[in-house]
Amino acid sequence: MKKVLIIILVLSFFSKFSQAQDFTYGTITQEEMDMAKYPKDTSAHGVVLKEFGDSKITYTKRGIRLIHTYHVKIKIFDNKGFSNATIEIPVYGNNNEEDDINYHQPVYDIKGVTSYKDEKGLTQQIDLEDKKIYQVKDNKNWLTYKFAMPGVRNGCVIEYQFTFETSLLEHFFSWEFQGAIPKISSEYDVHIPAFWDYNASLRGTLKLNTSQAKIESPCFSLPGAHCDCSFIVYSMNDVPAFVEEEAMTASKNYKSAIYFTLIDYTNPYTGKKGNGTKEWADIDDRLKSELFFNGQLKRKGLLKDKIRQVIENKTDTLNKAKAIYSFLQKWFKWDGVYGIYSENLSKALDKHSGSDADINLSLVTALNAAGLNANAVILSTRENGTINNIHPSLDDFNYVVAKLFIGNQSYLLDATDPLLPFGVLPLRCLNGKGRVMSLDKPSYWIDMDTHQSKRSASIMDFTLQENGKLKGTITNYSIGYDAYLKRNAIKKFNSTDEYVDDRYSNWQRLKVLKSTINNLDSLDKPLEEIYEVEISQYDQLNNSKFAFTPFVLNKITENPFKLAERSYPVDWGMPSEDKYIVNVHLPGGYLVNSPPQKINLGLPNNGGTFLSSYEQLDNTFIFSTITKFNKGIYSSAEYPYLKELYNKIIQMEKSEIVFSKK
Amino acid sequence: MRIFIVITCLLLFFKAADAQENYDASLISKELMPYATVVIRNSETTIEVKDLSNVNYHITKAITVLNKNGDDMARLIVEYDKITELKSIKGAIYNSFGKQISKFSKSDCEDYSNAHDFSLFEDARVKVYTPSVTEYPYTIVYDYEYRSKQTLDIDKWEPVEHTGIAVEKSSFTFICKPDFNINYKASNLAGKPLISTDTHGLKTYTWQLNNQKAAKHEPFSPYHDSFLPGVQIAPQNFTYYGINGTYNNWEDLGKWEYNNLIASRQNLDSETIQHIKEITKDIADPKQKAKKVYEYMQNKTHYISVQVGIGGIQPFLAADVDKQNYGDCKALVNYTQALLKAIDINSYYCIVQADNDYTIGLQNDFPSLNQGNHIILCIPFKNDTTWADCTSQTIPFGYLGSFTDDRNVLACTPEGGKLMHTPKYTLKDNVKRRKANFAIDNEGAISGNMTTVFKGVDYEYRDELINEPRTEQNKMLQKIYPINNLLIDKLDLQQDKSFNPSTTENITLHARDYASFSDGKYYFLLNPVNRIEETPKEVRNRINDVYIARGYTEEDEVTYTIPSGFRPEKEPLMVSIEKPFGKFTATMVLIGNQLTYKRKLQFIEGTYSKDTYQDLVDFYQAIVDADEYNVVLTKN
Repeated sequence: MKKVLIIILVLSFFSKFSQAQDFTYGTITQEEMDMAKYPKDTSAHGVVLKEFGDSKITYTKRGIRLIHTYHVKIKIFDNKGFSNATIEIPVYGNNNEEDDINYHQPVYDIKGVTSYKDEKGLTQQIDLEDKKIYQVKDNKNWLTYKFAMPGVRNGCVIEYQFTFETSLLEHFFSWEFQGAIPKISSEYDVHIPAFWDYNASLRGTLKLNTSQAKIESPCFSLPGAHCDCSFIVYSMNDVPAFVEEEAMTASKNYKSAIYFTLIDYTNPYTGKKGNGTKEWADIDDRLKSELFFNGQLKRKGLLKDKIRQVIENKTDTLNKAKAIYSFLQKWFKWDGVYGIYSENLSKALDKHSGSDADINLSLVTALNAAGLNANAVILSTRENGTINNIHPSLDDFNYVVAKLFIGNQSYLLDATDPLLPFGVLPLRCLNGKGRVMSLDKPSYWIDMDTHQSKRSASIMDFTLQENGKLKGTITNYSIGYDAYLKRNAIKKFNSTDEYVDDRYSNWQRLKVLKSTINNLDSLDKPLEEIYEVEISQYDQLNNSKFAFTPFVLNKITENPFKLAERSYPVDWGMPSEDKYIVNVHLPGGYLVNSPPQKINLGLPNNGGTFLSSYEQLDNTFIFSTITKFNKGIYSSAEYPYLKELYNKIIQMEKSEIVFSKK
Repeated sequence: MRIFIVITCLLLFFKAADAQENYDASLISKELMPYATVVIRNSETTIEVKDLSNVNYHITKAITVLNKNGDDMARLIVEYDKITELKSIKGAIYNSFGKQISKFSKSDCEDYSNAHDFSLFEDARVKVYTPSVTEYPYTIVYDYEYRSKQTLDIDKWEPVEHTGIAVEKSSFTFICKPDFNINYKASNLAGKPLISTDTHGLKTYTWQLNNQKAAKHEPFSPYHDSFLPGVQIAPQNFTYYGINGTYNNWEDLGKWEYNNLIASRQNLDSETIQHIKEITKDIADPKQKAKKVYEYMQNKTHYISVQVGIGGIQPFLAADVDKQNYGDCKALVNYTQALLKAIDINSYYCIVQADNDYTIGLQNDFPSLNQGNHIILCIPFKNDTTWADCTSQTIPFGYLGSFTDDRNVLACTPEGGKLMHTPKYTLKDNVKRRKANFAIDNEGAISGNMTTVFKGVDYEYRDELINEPRTEQNKMLQKIYPINNLLIDKLDLQQDKSFNPSTTENITLHARDYASFSDGKYYFLLNPVNRIEETPKEVRNRINDVYIARGYTEEDEVTYTIPSGFRPEKEPLMVSIEKPFGKFTATMVLIGNQLTYKRKLQFIEGTYSKDTYQDLVDFYQAIVDADEYNVVLTKN
């Protein structure tokens, strides 16, 4: 009895301070071992029992370091939860000697233990062996530590911890409260010496259970300097698993997590103020002064010679710009690397290859060298998540494009892809806001996704022959982004002939007699495909009645939206419009008995429409539809309307036009 | 004498440097252009075995890239590892007129880990050079050398690795000492190799391939090895990670593998042995005993790929798996064998080429190391040879599925290797049988229940749904079954894990707007859940035979109860086709307000002549047409 009392006393005494404490490694309760399901989510394959992280800036013999420790304990219910027991810790190291992964072990003190019940029902533990921790050098910048927890089986509890160290103070560790499996508790402690000032921002819809700050003193010292720290504890309890949905942008936008941005610092050795990023003006200054960005933009000389010939004899500003754009589109091959910094523009120019920054900063420089007015726009691509525009942070940006001004008009340009028309951005760039950076003016925000659309038109003109075949032409126009997609599809083939061979080869009843493709290389014009075709529609015209599905092409039978409701917006990136016209000439003596319905459907707030119309003149009938989505993004509240619009379209496409001999 | 050799070498070198080819793209013959994305202008591969632990590989290649789809094929990728040392890489790029525009060397290459995505660890790296040229055509020319310290696994010569590659000329030379014996096998190459003795008294074998047109993708083609050219070489004496060996047949190779990779890896501690004896002591039938052991292993372990030890072909110690509870296919088979040995059940460690799309067997006529990518277990019960894959926690004992069925495998036993054949699943085994009872109401909503039984390789079709949360299962079912507005009221999935396993899915569902109503007529798709919507692509001038890896049978029977007082407006569906490769029937009968739809589709496995292809496409078209049959009902 006494014993118990003492334990309780100790526990309660401890708990006052234990709020900001890591849990003890290697301990396990009977309750944790016995847990058969997680009551708050009985379908979970595993649950994080406890997760604790601690990040601090400290002085070591290697210099000022950011040190992060991670510790987690996970209950695994069944084999679909085993993937949580294989751990990969990818580490980035740059060429900066302090962080060179070739010279240092950035991750150390890796420990792991699995607790399980043996055949007799007793709890046993097995430790992770050091020699079973593998290191893989993925490439020159990335190193991955990998290990699989030992002794994993249904019902076991795994626990592991490690420490990670870096000198990259700008990238203070963020913390994901939400993951693929639910978490009972997740706590993150940060210790930030007063020399540094970070902004913390919370993403996602979940609320913090704890967010406590206090002063820790003494905390940071190096020869000749001392300061206190802000010690902040963030925690969340009962965090549900994060579930992804289709047609959503980066999960980072919705996952509950906390991010840190360095906004200001004082050099602890010299006491000198550093270049923080408290205000956009700070960022502007920094980008302008740093060689990586505007430093490269100033190197007009590099490109002047190259573009001289390109713009020779061109007087019109727009034509000059187009010539430079297409010249650089052809000059460069994008190496697939994303970033806002160009490490070495002249090297990239020589190699004909580089990142988006190499290519598009060259574009900005070349346009300016030609006397045009162009700025750089930094942005975050769709998979990189949206920009947090409350606190300026360069870490959020991962891509650069050019913005060109001609008179009152402005154009957004990206030369990374040789098939993009002038003024059209790839889908990856259409993501919220971008920041326009110029050499001489303060930076400002623009919307990335209001400038372009995706449009197509299919026009069919058929004559029904006496042999039951439909003969005529199919003309497809692809405009804007749609033309870009279509050109990509065509260029997947070695020649347009091979494309045409393939085009309708899944459709045995249609034979292409002749085809023409126009404007394949005139990127600024709509792409036009004309096919003379013959469709074996009916065996013979022997029957008295014929049914005709006017949706010869593009018939939708399946609703792309299946869920009853969504939690996240549907993000297509840009508005779209599709027109469909079918014109049928019947032989003399035929009559349409049941014409199709004319319908007119709309989405709320002018979000989109579906219109069908039908007209008949003697032996000819014309049926047409227009499907328009006026927005790139539809909120989860608009989702049911979107789904219903598709439902109605599908309903309508089931009906057939019936005609018969008079 | 020494001086003489040096001079000859120098002369040779100058000759090579001098023999600058003309890479003007316009010189490529028009004959080679159809379907070509790249043209190999010249390729020379030389493998010289200097001694058992010193093999030199020298490759030179000139590739003209005709359009951007060829960029990937122009990349230089050189693999290396602990026992494969890169000696040199150099190359140059030429424009369409054959003028050199840039040069590169080893230091311009990127270095990456070359481990498989599914692996936790592998000792495999690559150097990669990616040309960046935006004007087509261009030509990349490269020359590289590497040295391998083993002679068991000699790289195969594959002059055409892909569709879209045309070849002007390509050659392969294998050089060795006159007394170094090899077995070789050339496939899809005209003529015999040129065998001669060079000036140094070394034996040379040379194969050539000239003016080969590009192959194009043809659906239903056999495995590419069966139509693309290649030469495989297997030295009779070898050394591999310091272990010597000799083989001339599968028996020798299997024995070497058993002795060096497995024999000493199967010890278990006495506690485990005791435990296995304990849990099987009340079972009399050896097969049931083995099943018990297999299930014990399944519950205890899971698959993690770590490739270490003798070039990644040696399994972990059984005792290690016993402790760690994980392993790759080798380790788990080795462990299961050790467990079975504890109760005196003999089993074989079998090398197999796992592949779901093609049943690729080890070659009867050509034994070599690198023909398999997976290990499975064989238990030779009397008159009942049983097979098991040890990498899944859920599949039934004795079940292989489409991953390793119907193919040659090598059993590595103490008595030697033997080729065995895994069981075949025929169209009678691979069955998907569905019965549904639906009602369509006045509003067009559909509701009812549907039972589907999956057997044979289809047994696994619902594995990803099992044990998932209901919300996830619903999402998956909405994708599997193309009924719009589908809502699942009840789902019951049962797996029978007996020796003849089956999965049964019971669904109660409803969906609004299944039928649409306009102008006094009902419209709905007759086939609600099992439609084929596209035929395979038409292929002109087909070259390859038609290959159907596996036969199967699908049977659907759907009974609709419809609102009364309607009659069909068009001819009811009635299709019946029989072809050498398959059968299809679909019928619809309306009696009163009961509409019964029946569909049966069968494919018969086999390889059919290339002329059959058009027939197959037409067969599919008939199915597509039947599957999109729209029921139109008019009020009486």
